[in-house]
Amino acid sequence: MNRLLIRLILFIALFVWCVGFSYNSLFPNSAYTIIASPFLKKLYGTVCHQHIEKTFLFNRHYFYVCARCTGIYSGALVVSFISIFSLPRLPEKMTLLYFSAIPMLIDVLSTTTGIYSYSKIIALLTGIFFGSTAFAYILAAIENNFADKSL
Amino acid sequence: MNRNKLLPSLVCGFGAAVLTTVPGVKNFACCLIVPVAAVISISLDHKINRSEFPIKAKQAILFGIMTGVFAALFSTFFDALTTYLVHSNDFIEALPQTEDFIKQYKLDYLLNQTMTIFNQMASDIRANGFSAFYSFGILMSNLFVDIIFGMIGGLAGMSFFNKRTTKI
Repeated sequence: MNRLLIRLILFIALFVWCVGFSYNSLFPNSAYTIIASPFLKKLYGTVCHQHIEKTFLFNRHYFYVCARCTGIYSGALVVSFISIFSLPRLPEKMTLLYFSAIPMLIDVLSTTTGIYSYSKIIALLTGIFFGSTAFAYILAAIENNFADKSL
Repeated sequence: MNRNKLLPSLVCGFGAAVLTTVPGVKNFACCLIVPVAAVISISLDHKINRSEFPIKAKQAILFGIMTGVFAALFSTFFDALTTYLVHSNDFIEALPQTEDFIKQYKLDYLLNQTMTIFNQMASDIRANGFSAFYSFGILMSNLFVDIIFGMIGGLAGMSFFNKRTTKI
């Protein structure tokens, strides 16, 4: 499979996923939003705790995922979009992935133990850092196994 | 895939489903529970079945899918069990609010039908503690999400273990 096609598919999938968790906020005045709401809430509830106090409010509606998950998915979405045009060199060692998880782990541990109180912005930023790096590794794993070697 | 091959996915899928049900655990792991379960299932498979490295992509994805499927099945079962015991759930609690919102709109045929199905599901749950349609919907959404995240975990696990064995 062509590398560009793989990246395009991943970008579209991530885009749909991100629109899904922000659907309420993006289309606040649609009756379909209200009908879809219980299903979307349950769907994203599988992968997120969805605590209101840890979730972004936009257009009078909360996202279906917390600030950290919003960061992870939007970080991955941004990198997937960039990857369509610039085809960046993919990382070979796992060190960067571990390094990118450290700020997130420190934030989780610090807020849990009460060293400092939870901040949506910090959660979002640490999520973006981890999500963008993790996406690059997942992309590398997919391309190394499914993309045409000649390309 | 023989029984020994299924066992790691079954155990890890069950573990993931239990963790997603335990209150508080999701605060730490969020979307990482199922991918981590898929990684562990690959590791368990190598310990139990003494499979050879490097792990192939097909195998890693298969482990991810199987872990996701088991996680989805068990978490749907736990959800149905909890609903059966208390005859209520998030959906039932949010339904009156949804109906209030819906009254503000002129609904077309499709939306009216959807609301009828919602009300039917709610009355089934209130009366019997179980709605087949609701459980099916939850199973489908769990399968969809858990399989995707399981596959991601499988691929991540594959690159992690393959890189580690290359170093050795």
